[in-house]
Amino acid sequence: MSKRVAQHSRRQFLQTAASVAGAAVAAPMVIPSSALGLNGAVAPSERVVVGGIGIGRRGGYDLGCFLQQDDVQFVAIADIKQKRRGEVKKIADDHHGNDNCKMYRDFRELLDRSDIDAVLIATGPNWHATAAMTAAKAGKDMYCEKPVTKNISQSLILADTMRRTGRVFQAGTQRRNLPHFAFACELARTGKLGTLKKVYAHPAGMQALMSGWLVPETEPDKDVVDWDMYLGPAAWRPFNQKLLDGFNFEKGGGFVGAFNGGGVLEWGSHCVDLCQWAVDDCLPPVEYNAPKDGELMARYENGTQLIFREKGWIPLGSCPVRFEGETGWVEAGDSGKMVLSSPELLAGRSVEEIGGYPATFHVRDFLDCVKTRRQPKGNAQAACNAHIACHAANIALTLGRQVKFDNATNTFINDEQANRLRSEALREPWRL
Amino acid sequence: MRTNLARNFIRSAVLLVAFVVVAATSARAFDGPDTSPEREQELLAVLHSEASPAEKAIACKGLAIHGSATAVPELAKLLPNPQLSSWARIALEAIPGEASDEALRNAANSLEGRLLVGMINSIGIRRDAKAVDSLTAKLHDADAEVASAAAVALGLIGNSDATKSLRDALAAAPANVRSAVAEGCVLCAERLHGEGNSLAAVEIYDQVRTSEVPTQRIIEATRGAILARGQDGIPLLIETFQLTDNRMFQLALGTVREFPGGDVDQALAAELARATPDRAALMIQAMADRPNTVVLAAVLKAAEQSDRQVRLSAINALRRVGDDSCLATLLQIAIADDQELAQTAQETLAELPGQNVDGKIVGLLSSAKEKTYLLLLQLIGQRRIDAVDDVLKALKHSDPSVRKAALIALGETVSLKRLPVLISQVVAPEYSEDTPVAREALKAASVRMPDREACAAALAMALDRSPDASKSALLEILSDVGGTSALQTLAMAAKSNDPQLQDTSSRLLGTWNSVAAAPVLLDLAKTGPEEKYRVRALRGYLGLARKFAMSDQDRAEMCQNAFDATRRISEHKLALDVLQLHPSVEGLKLTINAMKTPALKDDATAAALVIAQKVGGKGVDISQLLSGVGLDKVKLEIVKAEYGAGSNQRDVTAVLRKQGGDLPLITLASASYNTSFGGDPAPGVVKKLKVQYRINGKTGEASFAENALIILPMPK
Repeated sequence: MSKRVAQHSRRQFLQTAASVAGAAVAAPMVIPSSALGLNGAVAPSERVVVGGIGIGRRGGYDLGCFLQQDDVQFVAIADIKQKRRGEVKKIADDHHGNDNCKMYRDFRELLDRSDIDAVLIATGPNWHATAAMTAAKAGKDMYCEKPVTKNISQSLILADTMRRTGRVFQAGTQRRNLPHFAFACELARTGKLGTLKKVYAHPAGMQALMSGWLVPETEPDKDVVDWDMYLGPAAWRPFNQKLLDGFNFEKGGGFVGAFNGGGVLEWGSHCVDLCQWAVDDCLPPVEYNAPKDGELMARYENGTQLIFREKGWIPLGSCPVRFEGETGWVEAGDSGKMVLSSPELLAGRSVEEIGGYPATFHVRDFLDCVKTRRQPKGNAQAACNAHIACHAANIALTLGRQVKFDNATNTFINDEQANRLRSEALREPWRL
Repeated sequence: MRTNLARNFIRSAVLLVAFVVVAATSARAFDGPDTSPEREQELLAVLHSEASPAEKAIACKGLAIHGSATAVPELAKLLPNPQLSSWARIALEAIPGEASDEALRNAANSLEGRLLVGMINSIGIRRDAKAVDSLTAKLHDADAEVASAAAVALGLIGNSDATKSLRDALAAAPANVRSAVAEGCVLCAERLHGEGNSLAAVEIYDQVRTSEVPTQRIIEATRGAILARGQDGIPLLIETFQLTDNRMFQLALGTVREFPGGDVDQALAAELARATPDRAALMIQAMADRPNTVVLAAVLKAAEQSDRQVRLSAINALRRVGDDSCLATLLQIAIADDQELAQTAQETLAELPGQNVDGKIVGLLSSAKEKTYLLLLQLIGQRRIDAVDDVLKALKHSDPSVRKAALIALGETVSLKRLPVLISQVVAPEYSEDTPVAREALKAASVRMPDREACAAALAMALDRSPDASKSALLEILSDVGGTSALQTLAMAAKSNDPQLQDTSSRLLGTWNSVAAAPVLLDLAKTGPEEKYRVRALRGYLGLARKFAMSDQDRAEMCQNAFDATRRISEHKLALDVLQLHPSVEGLKLTINAMKTPALKDDATAAALVIAQKVGGKGVDISQLLSGVGLDKVKLEIVKAEYGAGSNQRDVTAVLRKQGGDLPLITLASASYNTSFGGDPAPGVVKKLKVQYRINGKTGEASFAENALIILPMPK
C-alpha cells in the first residue's frame, strides 16, 4: 500500500462540520444590500448596467451568473460572430422581458456607450488584456476571464492601467470567493500552519497551446465572422475554421518558442493565483527552476517554495492546491472539500462546502465593488502577480534552466534570453 | 541533465498540440535555449528563402529570441508586408540595440495607416527618445489613429521633450485625438511622480483635469492630482467627494483607500456628516477599509443614530474596525425589533475585533436576561469563548432555545477533558427534546479534537454503556472523527451480533475516505455477517482503489483481492473499471486473466484493449502480453464510416482514420459521438455508427450504438 496515501489521508470531518452552527466561513457578502439602497425592487439608479464582450461557452456561464443578480441590467453584446450576438441578445432579452440588448461587431462601439458601467470580457485569452485595457481607458469596470495576460509585460501594464484609471477589475479567478479555498489560504496567510514552507499549484498539464498558421480557407463575410477582429492583437494569419472554433492564439505564453506555453496559464491562473493568495499576495517568486521529476520549483524571496505539480495527492477534484507550513498543512480542491493536517486548524469554525467552483459569488463580489469601489478579490494587482509567476515558470520551462526574477526592476537578472520573452508586440493597430 | 528533462517535458507536451502547422526547420529553431549566431543564421535563411509566409512568420518568432542586429535588415523588409509586419515587429521589439530602433523609425517615415500605427506602437514600447521629433510631427497627422498612437507613444517615452510636445498639443488637438494626448500627458505625469518630481506631475495633472477631455481622462488626472499632492491633496479629495457627478464621487471612494496617513480619516469623518445617506453608506465602507487610522467614533455614531441605510453600513463596517467600546451599542441593536439591523449586528458581534470583547461578553452573562442572555450564549459559541462552567448552568434552563444555544456553545468550546459533559447529554439527556442538538454538538466537538485517538477512545467507551437508541449516533460521530481507534471500533461493531450496529457500521466503513480502511473492508468483504454487508464492504474497498493515488502494483493487488473475495460478476466488473481508469501493465495482466471467465470475457476484453492502448501510448511494449490472448497488434484500415439515423448520415471516415491505431479499438476525442463527430446529425433520434474496415487485409463491418466503445470484431 502506498505510504504517501496513508500518510496524507485524513478524517473527513469537514463534510459534517459544515452543518454545525458556528462562525461560518461562507461565501462573502460585502455589505447588506439594503445598505446600498437595494431593498426590495432595485432602483434604476442602483443597477449596474453591463455589456458583454465575446460571450461564448464560458462567457455564457458567466452571463448566467450576472443575470442571477437582481441589480444587473445587461444591455449590449459585442462579438465577432453574428450567431453569438443573436444568441446572447435572446438570453438577455428573454431574461429582462424586453428587446433592449444591442448587438455590436466591434466592441469599441459598445465601450463608447456612456450608459454602460461595466463589461464582462470572455473572449479568447488572446484578447483579454487588450480588451481589458481598452475598456478601462473607456471608463468601464470589468470582469475579465482568465488567463488575463499573455506575458509578463502585459501583467504589469494591467495592474498599472487599472490603478491609473481607477477602474474596478475582477479576474475570472472565482475560487477566491469560495469558502474552502478562502479558508485554506487564510490558514496559510495568517501563520496558522506555522512558517510557510511550500505552496503547491497543480496546473493539470503544462501543455503547448500554440496554434500556428493553418491552411487558408475562404474568409466569411465580415458581418458573419469578423476575422480581422478575431485576430485582434495576435500576429496575422489566414482564416481557418479550426482556428475560429478552438484557437487560443498562443494562450498565455505562446510567445515562448513555437510550441510550448499555455498550459501553465490555463490552470495556473487559478491554482497559482490561490498560492499567491496563500502567501498574502506578495510579489511573485524570484527564482524558477527547470522542471524535474514532474515538478517545477519556484522560490519566493523569503524562501517559501511555489511548486508547480501536475496533480494533487488527495482526491479533491480539479484545481487542487496544498499549503505546507512548519506545523501543519491544508489541501483543497474543486470538490468543495478541504483536508487539514489537524482539526485544530478549524478553530471551531465551519466552512461551507461549495463544489463545482461556481462563479456566482465572484460576480457578486465584483458588483459590490463596482458600487463601493473596494478592490475585489481577483483584483488587477493580485492577477498581475499570479500571472507573472506563471509566465516566468513558462520561461524557465522553455529555456530548460533556472531563471531569476528581480521584482524591483521586473526583469530577469543578467538573462537577456529570458528578458526577451517578457513581452511581445501586438498586431497593429492594437496597443495596451 | 536538466536540459534533457526539460526538453522531454516540452516534447511530451508537443505531442498534444492539436493544430500546429509549422515547418520542421522552423520548429527546430526553438528546441533549445541557446542563442547563437548559427541559430540566427538558420532563421535568417528561412526569411531569405522562398519559404511560405507561415514558415517566415515562425522564423520571426525565433528571431525574437535569437536575433541580433544582423537580423534587423531582413526583418525590416517585412515591415511593409500586411501579413508579416506584425510578426517582424515581434522580433524587432525584442532585439535590443539601435539597429531595431532605426528600422522602426525608418518604417514609420515611409508607411501609413494601420501599419504605421504598428510602427509607432513599437517605438513607444521601446521608448525610443530619438523618435520624439517624428512623433511630435505625427500628433498633427490627418489620420486620427496615427496621431493618437503618436500621443500614447510620446507618453510612454515620457522624457522632457515628449512631455512638452504633449502639453503643447493638448488644447489644440482635434477632439478625436485629444483623449489620447491627455492619456500621454497622464503617463508623463505618472512617470514624473514616480521619479519624485511631484510638483511637475501636479502641474500636468491639473492641466489635464481642467481641459476639455473625456470624463475618464479627467478621472485619471484628478486621481493623480490628489495623490501627487501628498497631504496637500486632502482638500481636492474632499472636493471630489462633493461633486455631483457620481463618477467623480466613485473616484474619490477609490482614491481615499490609496491615500497615506491619518489626516485624511479626520477629513473623511467630517465629510461624512455632510454627505447624503446613499453616499454616506458608501463612505463608511471606505473608512472601514482604512483600519489603522479610521475614526471609529464616527462609524459608531453612524451605527447608532442616522439614516437606516447608513446604520446598516456602519454596523457592517464595525465587523472590521470595531472594538469593545462598540459592544453595548451592538448588543442593543442585536435584540431590537428591526430584524435586518438586528441580524447585521449579530453578525458583527460574532466577529467584533478587540482582545477585551470576549471577557466582557462572559462578564455580562451572569446578569443578562431573556433575549440578551440567549444572544450572549450564542456569541460564546460563535466566538469560541472558553466559559464552559458558565454555559453549563444554561443547560438546566426552562427555555429550550436557551438550552439549544448552550449545547451549541459547548460543542464549539469544550476541551477533550470536558467532552464527557456532552457525551452524557447524548446518552442520558435531561430533556429528550434536546437530543438532536446534543448529538450535533458532540459531533462538532469531537471532530475538532486535536487528539482524535483519545477522542475516539472516549466515544468508544461511551458506546459500551449507551442505550441502543444512541449507539448509531455515536458510531456516526466516530466515523467523522476517523483514525485508527475509530476504524477498529467500527470494524468490531460491523461484526457484532446487533443487526443495527452491523448495518450502521458497514455503511460507514463503506464510505470511509482513507486507504487505511482497506484491510478492514477486505476482511469484512470476506467474513461479514451477511451478504449485503459483504457487498457493501467490497464496493467500499474498490472505491478506495478507484479514488486514491497509489502505485500500479498496489492498485492491481487490491483489484486481485476483490476478484478473490467474491464470485459476483457485478463486483468483478467494478474492479475492471478501476483497472481501466488507472491503466497499467499490472492491470493489463489482471484484465487479461479475467478474460478467462466466460461471463466477464466481453468486458475484460474491452478493458484490456483500452488499457493496452493507453499503456502502449506511453511507449511500453505490451505486444507479448497481447499476443498471448489473441489481441495482437493489427493493421487497421477504415474503409468507410457513417454516423446517423435513416437518411441523416454523416461521413465520419476521416475522424475514425485519424483516431485509429494498431489495435482493433478506436478511442474518440470525446465519449460523446456527437461531440467527436462534429455535431448531432439527427437530433432526437437514436443513431448508429456503421463502420466498414479491414484488419490485416480482411474485410469486416460493424455497427455501434450511440456512444458505445468502438471495438472492431476480427473479420473471419
